[in-house]
Amino acid sequence: MNYWMRLKALLKRKQLDLDLEDELAFHLAMREAKNRERGMAGQQARYAARRRFGNVTRIKEICRESWSFTSLETTWRDLRYGARALAKNPGFTAVAVLATALGIGVNTGIFSLLNGVALKLLPVPRAEQIVSIDQIFHGKVRRNVHGEPGLFSYAEYKNYRENNHTFSGLLAYAPFLEATLGGESPKQVTGAETSCNFFEVLGERPALGRTFVDSDCRAPSASPVVVLSDDLWRNRFGADPSIVGKTVSLNRAKFVVIGVAARAFGGPDPWPSAFWAPVTMQKALEPDRDFLEEDNTGWLALLGRMRPGVSLEEVRADLGVIAGQIDQEHLGRTTTLAIHRATFLGRPEERTVVFKIGGVVLAAVGLVLLIACANVANLLLARASSRQKEIAIRLSIGGSRWRIVRQLLTESLLIAFLGGTLGSLIAFWSLEGIARSVLAHLPLDAPQLVWDVSPDLHVWGYLLALTAITGIVFGLAPALHATRQDLSTAVKGDGGAVAGKARGGTLRSTLVGVQVAICMVLLIAAGLLMRGLYLAQTVDPGFEMKGITQARFDLPSQGYSEEKAKAFQREMVARVAALPGVDEVEQARVTPLSHQFVGTGLTVGGETAARAFEYNVVSPGFFAVLGMPLVRGRTFTEEEARADAPVLVVTEFTARRLWPGQDAIGKTLREGEKKDYQVVGVLRDSEASHLGHTDGLFFYLPAGPKEQDRLQLLVHSKSSDATTAKGIRETMRALDPDLIVGVSKLADNLEAWRIPSRIVAALSGVLGALALLLASIGVHAVVSYGVSQRTREIGIRMALGADGREVMRLVLRQALRPVVVGSVFGIIGCAAVSQVLSDVLYGIGSHDPIAFVGVPLLLLGVAFLASYIPARRAVRVDPVVALRYE
Amino acid sequence: MAALKSLWVSAAANEAKESGHDMEKEGDLMQGTLDMLVLKALARGAKHGYGVAEWIHESSNDVLHVEEGALYPALHRLELKGLLAAEWGTSENNRRAKYYSLTAAGRKKLAEEAEYWRRMSGAIARVMQTA
Repeated sequence: MNYWMRLKALLKRKQLDLDLEDELAFHLAMREAKNRERGMAGQQARYAARRRFGNVTRIKEICRESWSFTSLETTWRDLRYGARALAKNPGFTAVAVLATALGIGVNTGIFSLLNGVALKLLPVPRAEQIVSIDQIFHGKVRRNVHGEPGLFSYAEYKNYRENNHTFSGLLAYAPFLEATLGGESPKQVTGAETSCNFFEVLGERPALGRTFVDSDCRAPSASPVVVLSDDLWRNRFGADPSIVGKTVSLNRAKFVVIGVAARAFGGPDPWPSAFWAPVTMQKALEPDRDFLEEDNTGWLALLGRMRPGVSLEEVRADLGVIAGQIDQEHLGRTTTLAIHRATFLGRPEERTVVFKIGGVVLAAVGLVLLIACANVANLLLARASSRQKEIAIRLSIGGSRWRIVRQLLTESLLIAFLGGTLGSLIAFWSLEGIARSVLAHLPLDAPQLVWDVSPDLHVWGYLLALTAITGIVFGLAPALHATRQDLSTAVKGDGGAVAGKARGGTLRSTLVGVQVAICMVLLIAAGLLMRGLYLAQTVDPGFEMKGITQARFDLPSQGYSEEKAKAFQREMVARVAALPGVDEVEQARVTPLSHQFVGTGLTVGGETAARAFEYNVVSPGFFAVLGMPLVRGRTFTEEEARADAPVLVVTEFTARRLWPGQDAIGKTLREGEKKDYQVVGVLRDSEASHLGHTDGLFFYLPAGPKEQDRLQLLVHSKSSDATTAKGIRETMRALDPDLIVGVSKLADNLEAWRIPSRIVAALSGVLGALALLLASIGVHAVVSYGVSQRTREIGIRMALGADGREVMRLVLRQALRPVVVGSVFGIIGCAAVSQVLSDVLYGIGSHDPIAFVGVPLLLLGVAFLASYIPARRAVRVDPVVALRYE
Repeated sequence: MAALKSLWVSAAANEAKESGHDMEKEGDLMQGTLDMLVLKALARGAKHGYGVAEWIHESSNDVLHVEEGALYPALHRLELKGLLAAEWGTSENNRRAKYYSLTAAGRKKLAEEAEYWRRMSGAIARVMQTA
């Protein structure tokens, strides 16, 4: 009531003033009339009324005050005072605001990127109702995974859909479906198999035709219909208005187009889908698998729309019951569900990666902001000492310390908000461009991503909080410091030379030290990243890539049976081998460093639990072509490959890990209960699967007849890469014109590994430069200030016969002491940070000497330069001028 | 009884004027009394500020001389506290005037204050009467 009335009064200030005027005037008029009744003359009656009333202006003021927010008014006064103080000192204000703008700008920018990629709700109507559901298994888990481990099987999906009480709809879709769109020139597109309530639950209406109805999902393989994306419809079908009812070919199966999705709709993932087909058509799209029948295979992502009024907690409880029931069919397994408001990249595995990288980057920009804060704090300190007298006078006439601290803090917050506004303007303005350039640097075969980086409530909230915190962080220490003073010296104003040196000197030096230390951490990290990048481009992965071309294709999805695949492979190997210049043609399930990983569990002889292995299936000549030497034993023979013999080759690391101090040859690994594999060879470690890593259990199997449908091609040729690639493409087209084949140099695989490092190195380079700039401004400002404060002292020294070099040495020594101390702390801090970095990014040697020696030298050099300039000014001080100074 | 009241009010007021430091504390005491008088003045129905001043003046037989200006901060304060409701109306001589009336909370407050005052003044009277 109280606040509400005051708020109304605040908004209707004019009216309130008029009313008050009226009310008091009425009183005076009544009294005057009464006085006249009693026989007073006109003037006399009025004066008497006034006398009796008291001081009208004062009364008005008191009334007005009781209607206003006193603290608000004080704040307003502080703000006006602060603004005046800032305007009076434009040089200081400009530097402080710019430093803050840089710090807050990069932070807001990075946060917007992160927000756009992983915090925004899905771009669908009433997105706050949509939740994503992922499974996390514990205990004894036997499960097939297609995509990511948290996905659901079709049976599980139906269970959750039918037995939940909290959703108005629960949808499922397979998020990683690649399909070949047939036609004149076949094209690889990304799509999704979806439950038939997909569009309905998301609240999306088609732009053309219809979306799925329940009958489309009634029986497996019964309803070959498809909804196209607007993008595909425009770019591939020329926005044909009569597309509905026409037939398209996906992975060589015929589908009838029933609709086109709304223009902006790309599905619930950042990689937009080109088409959607009913989940029941899975077998038509992926002929080699029948996921609908596999009750223990995870392949479907789940999104539910909560009923109005239902909370996340209720959903968790409701679905938890169903998870418990499913667990009863799997002895020793417990399932927990991760249920969150749906965002892009919301699956646990994706989250981990995004937040790990996001955390490192946010920490880095946080450090830049900290340097900026230290900088502004130092400026404020210097300014506070020049306002010492003013503050001392206010304190001595009884101003409360809190009142003055508050005034000073208001001023810092004002700087922070100016900086924050400027910084965020720059950030939002440049962000689109940055996002575009990052996307443009992703590898060519990576899916197209949508990335909406426009600011939303999250970003504004972050910006506001960050700005307020920034203002307090850089303002508090100087404000407290400035108000803790010895009044008598300060008022007399002769603190300049002697007291000024002692007071604030330590705090200022500490701030410089902190800046240098943080700057050191950022620069060394940047140095490490760049060195890592350099090494990644020059380092030897332990096998040969030169002259090797890879051809990647997927036969099973194109309906190849095992027999047909075998014939195709045989024919293709023969034809490619006959190409001019080609001297070797080998096959492998995955090509080295292609970011494809195959894994399984095998039991080591004498152990009970299975261990997780990565493996590859290769033709016998694979090792020779790639220059991967054997340490012991032999490779497979052609006979073993043809006979699907149970033999394998392990890496040196694997042999050491599993059979330390023993000969690995002849040892066995068991698959399930049935099959024993015998180790016949040990291979020298190489980075064939993960660049930069040779650790991890790994084995190779011979490529037998059963494996033919999944093999890809590695071709070594003496002719140019372009010629070889062209030859392979033509050969493939002759064999199967509808098969899409990715032909590239094997060395191109390195590129994808370097991209994260490259983006982060570029970013950290920019941040490092920014940090260096800020820190050198800081050092320069502090040394300049110190010199100006000590002009008199220096003058006296010079007058007493000290020579210029001595004075220079004195100034430099004092200036560089905090720099050196800060550097030492920075180097120590960075040794710790580099450990974290090397976990996240490839190629960071945590103890790279060049980064750890070169960067500190660079920083010290810059700091020396920053202090040398003001120091030289000190030496040129004319003793006479100095003594008269102030 | 009336004389005692007048003494107390003006004594408190004088003291408050003299010593700047204790102004708030003594002022509160005076405010409290003035507030009570204002509430009492409005107990019989809505009045404008001038009416309140006149009522206090008359019903104390011209003993209580409230500084009339001081009445208005009190009225506004009580309005903000929700003890009074205010409404613009037309006065007996056809001028626009702000009329104050007691709210339910105001009525309750008045009853509390009156009770407190009755006990205090009774106690003080007894103390003063003992020889």
